Amino acid sequence: MGALDRRHPAAVFVYFAGVMAAAMLTLNPALLLVSIGGGALLLLIRGAARLSSLLFSLALFAAMTLINPLFNHNGVTVLFVLGDSPVTLEALLYGAASAAMVTAVLMWCRSLSGVLGEDKLLYLFARVSPRIALVVSMALRGAGLFSAQARRVRRSQKGLGLYKEDNIVDTIRSDARVFSILVTWALENGVITADSMAARGYGTARRTAFSRYRFTRGDAMLLAAGLLLTGLSLWGVLSGTLDVSYYPAVRWTAMTPLGWAALIGYGILALWPALLEGGERLKWRFLRSKI
Amino acid sequence: MALLEIENLSFSYPESEKRVLDNVSFSLERGDFLLVCGATGSGKSTLLRCLKRELTPLGALSGRILYGGKPLDELPDRASARLIGFVGQRPEQQLVTDKVWHELAFGLENLGAPSPLIRRRVAETAAYFDLEDCFEREVSSLSGGQKQLVNLAAVMAMRPEVLLLDEPTAQLDPIAAESFLSTLEKLNRELSLTIVLIEHRLEEALPLSNRLLALENGKTLVFDKTRRAARALREHPVLSRALPGATRLSALLHEDDCPLTVREGRALLERRGGAFRTLVDEPHDEERAALAFRDVYFRYERSGADVLRGTAFRAAEGEITCLLGGNGSGKSTLLNCAAGLLRPYAGRVEVFGRPIRAYKGQALYQGVLALLPQDVQTMFLAATVREELKGVDYSAFPVDFEPLLDKHPYDLSGGEQQALGLIKALAAKPRLLLLDEPTKGLDARARDGVADILKALRARGLSIVCVTHDVEFAAACADQCALFFRGDVVSMDRPRAFFGGNAYYVPAAGRMARGLCEGALTVEELAAMEERA
Repeated sequence: MGALDRRHPAAVFVYFAGVMAAAMLTLNPALLLVSIGGGALLLLIRGAARLSSLLFSLALFAAMTLINPLFNHNGVTVLFVLGDSPVTLEALLYGAASAAMVTAVLMWCRSLSGVLGEDKLLYLFARVSPRIALVVSMALRGAGLFSAQARRVRRSQKGLGLYKEDNIVDTIRSDARVFSILVTWALENGVITADSMAARGYGTARRTAFSRYRFTRGDAMLLAAGLLLTGLSLWGVLSGTLDVSYYPAVRWTAMTPLGWAALIGYGILALWPALLEGGERLKWRFLRSKI
Repeated sequence: MALLEIENLSFSYPESEKRVLDNVSFSLERGDFLLVCGATGSGKSTLLRCLKRELTPLGALSGRILYGGKPLDELPDRASARLIGFVGQRPEQQLVTDKVWHELAFGLENLGAPSPLIRRRVAETAAYFDLEDCFEREVSSLSGGQKQLVNLAAVMAMRPEVLLLDEPTAQLDPIAAESFLSTLEKLNRELSLTIVLIEHRLEEALPLSNRLLALENGKTLVFDKTRRAARALREHPVLSRALPGATRLSALLHEDDCPLTVREGRALLERRGGAFRTLVDEPHDEERAALAFRDVYFRYERSGADVLRGTAFRAAEGEITCLLGGNGSGKSTLLNCAAGLLRPYAGRVEVFGRPIRAYKGQALYQGVLALLPQDVQTMFLAATVREELKGVDYSAFPVDFEPLLDKHPYDLSGGEQQALGLIKALAAKPRLLLLDEPTKGLDARARDGVADILKALRARGLSIVCVTHDVEFAAACADQCALFFRGDVVSMDRPRAFFGGNAYYVPAAGRMARGLCEGALTVEELAAMEERA
């Protein structure tokens, strides 16, 4: 359990959404680099990824970077000519920037799914629609039950010598028969489940969604910090001061104080989760050594 | 004032003349524990569903059901859902959500309760039912007994005043069943909860109740205080079979007293002071082994624990061998290894003297052995019994399938399904039959039916290995009993010697007669000896 796991799912979700939104709206290399750095650090600290598995992200980044110049021949600085087409520096840099954006967002998504998990995601969903959340929860269960029953039926048919595996036509035929009885079985079970729902008052009132999470002061602080810093970053990004144009030649917009503020703000936003988790871990090490 | 009053209740299903319930009347005070018994098709379940408005089937209902003096129909929807709780037979299918905590909250969510209230009720309920350890777990990872406990807790989180239960322990092993029933007793005693329980195995349930209702063909046979009703039922040709051993013994001895528990039965025997002799097993010739395990080891995952740990045992040809033991001791795994469905990583499994791997392809399943799985429904693939039996000769079978031919296999009763599974398994003419819990969920009569079928098959020369929790069943038909514990057979003997050496895994008759008469397995044996003496 890290520091983020204790936070309210809604606060975590808003925070991470902010980090990703700012990254998705710009191709500013500095901001994207900060985003990747913060994301990678968080994955490493939480133990969700090791250095070796981050190499995979690097490979993905490289592949995406190289694809752009192969199809896009804009730009004034020709590096070399491949076949009949020029490969330009600008196209390469543009590719690198967009690859960085995708990599950053993927990393943050990976952390988010690790922090929230199925339970908390479903909870967030239930805030929007208790009814749909229930259906999702039932479907998750139903799918597991169905495949477990399929395994049992196959095994018991095999134990009777009725399920032949030596011939593809027989296998398909057996599979079809198993599937058809499973549908009957699922309907039978559905009736019992429906009874069990009705018996417990399903449909008698507007459903509420029970939440096991309480919104604490820590959550409020995380949410406030997230909103503030995201607001600052987005202001900078949308004002255009962080814009970089890649074609025909790479040209930076002159940095304004707002631009610097937005960059620094985003830096704190992206590094904060890693610092939170890292601090927690240090504290534990410290505590343990005292015991 | 009575909490629940049923007056002249009759019910028939649409387009059917037959009255499933015929003029049933009774009333319950708050805190009553009513046990309902009756043969399959006597209307027990229909009665229970009439008491739970949401589950009342379509059909013609007459008579009155009063709840707290008011007609049940006039209760508001939410009150009706909350005040009358219902738990059915199948633990798995009644669960709605995927997590234990969500299941506990489900009913309160439906009633629109606010989160703080739900949090409090769920926490309290989880603590009372000792579910804290599995609070965040997936319901699919729980055992059958735990699932049923979650079902009960989920209903109790809504704070009902009446709890209706339709054979809640039928799918549980005896240990889990007993613990479930003792939880009911606790609810009844500590919360004065009114309980209506349908059960067909009355050994444990009957002493918990204070009222007994017996139904026959939809009519009230008896409704009375438990002991008086049990005395009346003692002489009944069918329903007496299900009564506790002590009660049946007192009937056979023509005693006026009606003991309900082993303790009371024991006191009765001591008071009469009859002379008993020790019963011993008849000597058997040593037969060749139909199935032999030689130091077999098996585990499901490489890093997991061994499920079979050096299992060694043999089952003789032409005999019924019963393996008894607790849940999770590896009994089903052993059967799957014996049937070649799982492969041990060390040791040898031999079928009729040949290593199991020597049977190539389908050879093992053609004329050698067949396995009847625990969930016998998994054997059926067809839409009717007729199709299921196509090409199978069932004329010599002790069960008459003719009236069932056009039914869906899923619509058969538990005993009929077991019989259909057996006949399917026999189609490939196996010489060795492996059975996994064949009496699970069966009433006393169906259980005797299965025992009779097995004895008939043994007479035809079949070898049978049967894994079971049911000591009464094992006592009724086994030639050889074995106790399975933590992946190995720890004792194996002829039934009288086996049960004589046990203290807990003993049929009721054996427990009552301990020290007075060694080796007795059934109350009939006990009574016959007393009579002679």
